Amino acid sequence: MTLGNIENRERFLSNIRDKIGGLSADKPVQKPNWSTQPQYRVLKDQNQDQLIKVLKDQCKHIHTDFYHTDEQHLDETLNEIFEEYGVRSIVYTCDSRFQDHKVDTSLKQSGLDTWEWDDNEKEASIQFSEKADVGITFSDITLAESGTVVLFNGQGKGRSVSLLPQNYIAIIPKSTIVKRMTQATEKIHKQVENGEDISSCINFITGPSNSADIEMNLIVGVHGPIRAAYVVVDDI
Amino acid sequence: MPMQIGEKEFKQRVTKGLDDNFMRGAVRSAQGRLQNNRASAADELGDWEDWRTLGKEIRQHTIEHLDYYLHQLSEKVAELGGNVFFAETAEEANEYVKNVVKSKNAKKIAKSKSMVTEEISMNEALEELGCDVVETDLGEYILQMDDHDPPSHIVAPALHKNKEQIRDVFRDKLGYEKTEKPEELALFAREKLREEFLSAEVGITGCNFAVAESGSFALVTNEGNARMVTTLPETQITVMGMERIVPGWEELDIVVSLLTRAAVGQKLTSYITALTGPKQSEEGDGPEEFHLVIVDNGRSKILGTEFQEALHCIRCAACINVCPVYRHVGGHAYGSIYPGPIGAVLSPLLSDYDEYKDLPYASSLCGACTEVCPVKIPLHEQLIAHRRNIIEEDKKGSLAEKVAMKGFGQMAGSANLYQMATKMAPILSTPFSSKNQIRKGLGPLKHWTESRDFPKPANESFRSWFKQRNKRGVQHDVRKH
Amino acid sequence: MKVSLFITCLGDVFYVNAGKSAVELLEHLGCEVDFPETQTCCGQPAYNSGYHRETKEVAKHMIEVMEDADYVVGISGSCVYMIHEYMHLFEEDSKWRDRAIALKEKSYELTQFIVDVLNIEDVGASYQAIATYHTSCHMTRLLGVQEAPFKLLEKVKGLELVDLPNRQDCCGFGGTFAVKMSNISEQMVDEKVDHIEETKANLLLGADGSCLMNIGGRISRRDKQVEVKHIAEILNSRGDR
Ligand code: SF4
Repeated sequence: MTLGNIENRERFLSNIRDKIGGLSADKPVQKPNWSTQPQYRVLKDQNQDQLIKVLKDQCKHIHTDFYHTDEQHLDETLNEIFEEYGVRSIVYTCDSRFQDHKVDTSLKQSGLDTWEWDDNEKEASIQFSEKADVGITFSDITLAESGTVVLFNGQGKGRSVSLLPQNYIAIIPKSTIVKRMTQATEKIHKQVENGEDISSCINFITGPSNSADIEMNLIVGVHGPIRAAYVVVDDI
Repeated sequence: MPMQIGEKEFKQRVTKGLDDNFMRGAVRSAQGRLQNNRASAADELGDWEDWRTLGKEIRQHTIEHLDYYLHQLSEKVAELGGNVFFAETAEEANEYVKNVVKSKNAKKIAKSKSMVTEEISMNEALEELGCDVVETDLGEYILQMDDHDPPSHIVAPALHKNKEQIRDVFRDKLGYEKTEKPEELALFAREKLREEFLSAEVGITGCNFAVAESGSFALVTNEGNARMVTTLPETQITVMGMERIVPGWEELDIVVSLLTRAAVGQKLTSYITALTGPKQSEEGDGPEEFHLVIVDNGRSKILGTEFQEALHCIRCAACINVCPVYRHVGGHAYGSIYPGPIGAVLSPLLSDYDEYKDLPYASSLCGACTEVCPVKIPLHEQLIAHRRNIIEEDKKGSLAEKVAMKGFGQMAGSANLYQMATKMAPILSTPFSSKNQIRKGLGPLKHWTESRDFPKPANESFRSWFKQRNKRGVQHDVRKH
Repeated sequence: MKVSLFITCLGDVFYVNAGKSAVELLEHLGCEVDFPETQTCCGQPAYNSGYHRETKEVAKHMIEVMEDADYVVGISGSCVYMIHEYMHLFEEDSKWRDRAIALKEKSYELTQFIVDVLNIEDVGASYQAIATYHTSCHMTRLLGVQEAPFKLLEKVKGLELVDLPNRQDCCGFGGTFAVKMSNISEQMVDEKVDHIEETKANLLLGADGSCLMNIGGRISRRDKQVEVKHIAEILNSRGDR
């Protein structure tokens, strides 16, 4: 990878340094011990099943349809949603979990127009997504408190899939559910600390898109999907 | 749009605001909702005061080591193949962005909401190049369509408009034919803006928080426009005020949790998008090229002063949403794209007292702002500090007031003078009072009595009552009860 | 218990009954009340206007006058808060700063003193009225006295206390704000008076003379039939008058 340019840095930072009496930039700064850490107290002691309940309740606040199923009935549940949403075309990410849980076969057999995201066919993939009735992804981490699915976009997992279609479905393996954002950011922080690359685009998605810009009235569905469904799947 | 907006004179702007019943109705109801949402989100979270304390500590630590964290951020971004430009002035920032746009030969630019680009008039600079710059946040889009009406709120820029006005703007400028229903208006904007996203060559975003440890940027939105802007165009430019940074992901959690609750009462907004560098070569969508512009534009003047805490601001607008002055005069009266309490603190710092000397006085110092600020900025105290600066350092106070205050200091600093003054009060005011109220006052009282009566001093002051009472030998309560 | 009364400017000149009631009330509750005669204004008008040099002179005077007291009890939350702020005027003068802190530590607002120091909630008062109470900003938010006035008023026999809608809103006084920005201030006090009217109360109570003067002035100008009183006057009523 080619390194990017940095321009005008020294003058800019030395001006700041003069004002705050900072040391030189290569002296590592230690973060202090914060006097309080309330984030770890949220939903403390809740087990996985209790967290599912929290997630389910939160879905009501974020205008998101909630489904709970198991691997065996996953295709049935998806079909139910397709029917409900009037879905004719589907785009989904190129993610081995679709094969692992046989979702791709059932999608392909559904008789609907399907498209698996293809990085080499960027334009065509975007065009399909733009017209698609639904985009489907797996959730990488799921935050019970806020009802958020976290997607590590990257190879095969196009950003557009969860963004451009009319509707969005997140398949949520039960094991991905954590309490709140704290657990997700902790994990990402660890990756950074270990020198691993992190995803170029991490999406924290909480329900469908919305806006309150007109008289503070909540309008669901602005630029992104208009409806969203979460499908929690046991055993995976 | 520059930071300064509207008429030159503060008084004119205020009168205009007070006379605008449409706007006042819209602001009143918006404030009501936002206040309730914030309060219930804070209650629901529990330990809100601890969260605020932590938020404050994080912001304080970050700003105290801003040079270190900005250095780290820029290193990381460059490692990932992004370009970083440090801009000390608005001109430098705009020049850089213009050059990027020129090198791409771009004609259409899609922007997501960013206050700092408003502050430095980036749109105008790009329009000079002949580019079509499209604001894609619904509120910003409405304002842009309405002949660049300035924003009146930092989170909900079109808060001063009601839906009928928005319908009319869409009808007159875009040929919209449907009703004023918010859903229909939004759907119309969705369709219009889709075309823009798909054809834009460059996407420009602001930045809610940069994460130093990984060179990432978090964009906090509800509509999804910032995702569009960072997914479809080939080139992405992110512009950030230099203070909008946190050390790492763990701190990002805290400031985002505070921001979404304080701003709109949500646990998280629909989309928190954290971007790290341009897209990787094996990825399909996302920008090929990434530029980060870090803007000072007067911020470093604030460092090391008693106003440093103003740089802790996370732009949640909670202080604006509770401010009674804002409620009555609206955002435009502040004459700055940063209105309300934080605007009254920040605008004179980013600009100067000549431009904004009235703003620190546009507050009853009720402290509602300080009480809600999620990072505990003592806003009302900062306003008092501005007033002190204006008087003591800038010497901008009115002469009459200065004389009066000097007199006050001498009087209240001396028992004899003070007692004499209190004795004089009833005598001096007698000719102007009817019954027990004064209806027409003189001097400074004139403004008071334009809308309120003023009480007539009692015939016997408390101190002479107390003296007499002691003379009569009443000590402890001897009344029967 | 020995208490030095801090009367405040408005209490000395305008709301004389509030001060008288406070004296009688405190004595009724077993305190010995004195009135340091050389006391003046707390200095807040100058402080909030940015005249901190002038404020310092006032603060020094007040510290000298009040520092021998066992307790200082003021009849205005805002002015008591100002005393609590003195320490910040002397950031670079540790001697005065220490004296300011010592004064802060024994200075209380009247209702706060009764509830927190005397540990009394029922002062044995009775008063017939439908009343609403204005929570003043400085007392509630800055001095942090939120519950005390309500605890005391709830125990007053015959008094029906109704909630004031949007009670957290400022009345628009703000010292020189009311004069400098009188048109904005007017809108704020009007909103407050509207809310008071909504409650249908015939009595408005408060613990801050300045807010009462502001709201009362607007009530009087709008010819509304609502009486305005300082909380001390009610707490000192025993139905035999
Ligand atoms: S000053 Fe505080 S309350 Fe106001 S916008 Fe900034 S962070 Fe929010």
